Amino acid sequence: MKRITVGMSGGVDSAVAASILIEQGYDVEGLFMKNWEEESEYCSAEQDYKDALQVCDILDIPLRSVNFAKEYWDRVFQHFLDEYKKGRTPNPDILCNTEIKFKEFLNYAKDLGADKIATGHYVRNRDLDGKVQLLKGLDPGKDQSYFLYGLNQHQISSALFPIGDLEKPNVRERAEKLGFDNFEKKDSVGICFIGERDFKEFLQQYIPAQPGIIVNSKGRKVGEHDGLMYYTLGQRKGLGIGGGHSDGEGAWYVLDKDLENNELIVGQGHDHAGLYQKCLTASDLHWISGEAPNSENLKAKIRYRAKDARCRITDMNDETISVEFEKPRFATAPGQSVVFYEGDVCLGGAVIDKAFNS
Amino acid sequence: MNYFDHSATTPIHPEVLDLVHSIQKNVFGNPSSIHRLGRKARSLIEISRKQIAKAINSDPTQLIFTSGGTEANNQVLKSFNQSEKNHVVTNPIEHPAILKVLTTISSQKISFGLVPVNEKGRVSVSEIESKIQEKTGLISVMLANNEVGTVQPIKEIVSLAHQNGVRVHTDAVQCLGKMPVDVKDLGVDFLSLSAHKFYGPKGIGVLYFKNKDALSPFMLGGGQESGLRAGTENIAAIAGMGLAAELATDGLGNHITELKSFEAQFKSGLLSFFPNAIFNGDIKNKLPGLVNVSFPGHRSDILLAKLDRSGFFVSSGSACGAGAVKPSPVLSAMGLADEINISTLRFSFGSSNNSEQVESLLSELQTILTD
Repeated sequence: MKRITVGMSGGVDSAVAASILIEQGYDVEGLFMKNWEEESEYCSAEQDYKDALQVCDILDIPLRSVNFAKEYWDRVFQHFLDEYKKGRTPNPDILCNTEIKFKEFLNYAKDLGADKIATGHYVRNRDLDGKVQLLKGLDPGKDQSYFLYGLNQHQISSALFPIGDLEKPNVRERAEKLGFDNFEKKDSVGICFIGERDFKEFLQQYIPAQPGIIVNSKGRKVGEHDGLMYYTLGQRKGLGIGGGHSDGEGAWYVLDKDLENNELIVGQGHDHAGLYQKCLTASDLHWISGEAPNSENLKAKIRYRAKDARCRITDMNDETISVEFEKPRFATAPGQSVVFYEGDVCLGGAVIDKAFNS
Repeated sequence: MNYFDHSATTPIHPEVLDLVHSIQKNVFGNPSSIHRLGRKARSLIEISRKQIAKAINSDPTQLIFTSGGTEANNQVLKSFNQSEKNHVVTNPIEHPAILKVLTTISSQKISFGLVPVNEKGRVSVSEIESKIQEKTGLISVMLANNEVGTVQPIKEIVSLAHQNGVRVHTDAVQCLGKMPVDVKDLGVDFLSLSAHKFYGPKGIGVLYFKNKDALSPFMLGGGQESGLRAGTENIAAIAGMGLAAELATDGLGNHITELKSFEAQFKSGLLSFFPNAIFNGDIKNKLPGLVNVSFPGHRSDILLAKLDRSGFFVSSGSACGAGAVKPSPVLSAMGLADEINISTLRFSFGSSNNSEQVESLLSELQTILTD
């Protein structure tokens, strides 16, 4: 019987994932991972551990725990801060998957004697022609392949994704039937280590803020900002631009950041031309299969919640890629990833450096 | 199930369990009530107090019941926080129920000094002398360490302390039932015990004090326990602890022999297939049946998980809360290098074991270590 170590987060997805593997006859063990050393009202690790323990008790499987706080700090959080210092909008969950969950966690599970690991991600994997593919989860509202594009063949073939072909309401239903207290536990949103606290206050602890002015696209001052790192491209809320500056229609949006002059550039209206770009360049290019695709039907997402849109590769080497979309994309933010798809298959991706119109 | 973690806690003795159960069922009276049911409850508490007094050679009036060893330790230390002589001398391998209390309340009046331990985990009496100040009111040194089992030279410490007008507290929670615990012979001023370490119920302990005057009330309220620990008494647990103490001391000689035989069987068996094993602690002065051993090249968390998987329950010295695996501070204080430190397991044998179990433990370890 194969031994599978399931990453138990205390949430409903991993709990149901474990129960499915037990039904399928695997020898299942839970492993709880702690990646952040902070005992505060914001860090729910202790409660999450207790939730995971209760689930494992119901399933009658062992729960072990491991601490990767140092690895997370060094390889994920430092990078997160570095990116913010550069005025970019990083996505730490992507790095957490490649560096922690599918590296440290995987290795630790193997040390404990596991044949494979499993997680509660909404994705699927399959073998095809000697390669393993990563596919979108079947629930279109929950698909998490965007966060896993950085995995390689070894990582994906070492993992099972038991809930990838389920829809979230079905997962909750199963959890309730199994008697898991966490069946109604709300989905975690945002960045795990920040939790529900104020993003600005959190970031201020690590990076000194440099307030400056907000200008419109003609260079006229329309307000003041608290520090460029607090804003992301396409952001509408929290700009604090008062009346009297209006020179167009609609709400203000962040169009760009001028790091050199510490100025935030804004424009009015969701249709503002400065919010839309057709092209982008990106680096840290990674293909899941190990090879660049040769596809006529390439699509890409520029952020987790974006729709995948038709595009073509205009230039590429081992490290970097240039992409042109058929239609302009809204608010392409450097630091986020562009992730490529062919149908349901997630092909890989890269970290966006620049967006522009040719 | 093969349980080798008796230093963490012990299974309740069947006779103790029966007594606790029957009291919970039949004697619900409040010991402060003056009617018959109250008097019955009071009587059970005082029987227990006498049993414990006999077990440790104190007077019954020198004992108060607490919620456990942690509370007993807290009460002693916090009493000195309010005293004029509020400097405490202790050492880095005490239980957190001493060290955490001191580091926390040292922002108030109390201050403390740490005496180092040697590579065997023994504190040096002469080093203690050098740490004693004008304001030193208390020396707190455990009778035996919970991780490595090293027994401390309490009598010598007491003699030195008393020459300097300093009182001595000893946390003896690991000791009752594994070595003689005689407060008169030791000469200590305070001693803490916890019932669940000697086959009694959890959530109950006792504090011995030579003189009441050095002690402040911990819990305030209805004046129970001579005003030193208010709160309606946990009668069943108190009675259970009394019986457990009696059983532990009555069977002491036999139990020590049994523990030593498990220990010898385990050590020689282990060395036969894993000669690199390092036994930590003081071989000459240690609790019987507690074996702290490092397995160089093998991480304790992995070993622990594999043993757990096969139904063998042991401890690793390294702390593990929700996640963290950190080197044991006790072993670090004894000078163990981190990579050896995190390769260490504690096996603590007890009355739930037999030699067949020790044999199966050895064979499981052999499988794991030579895998």
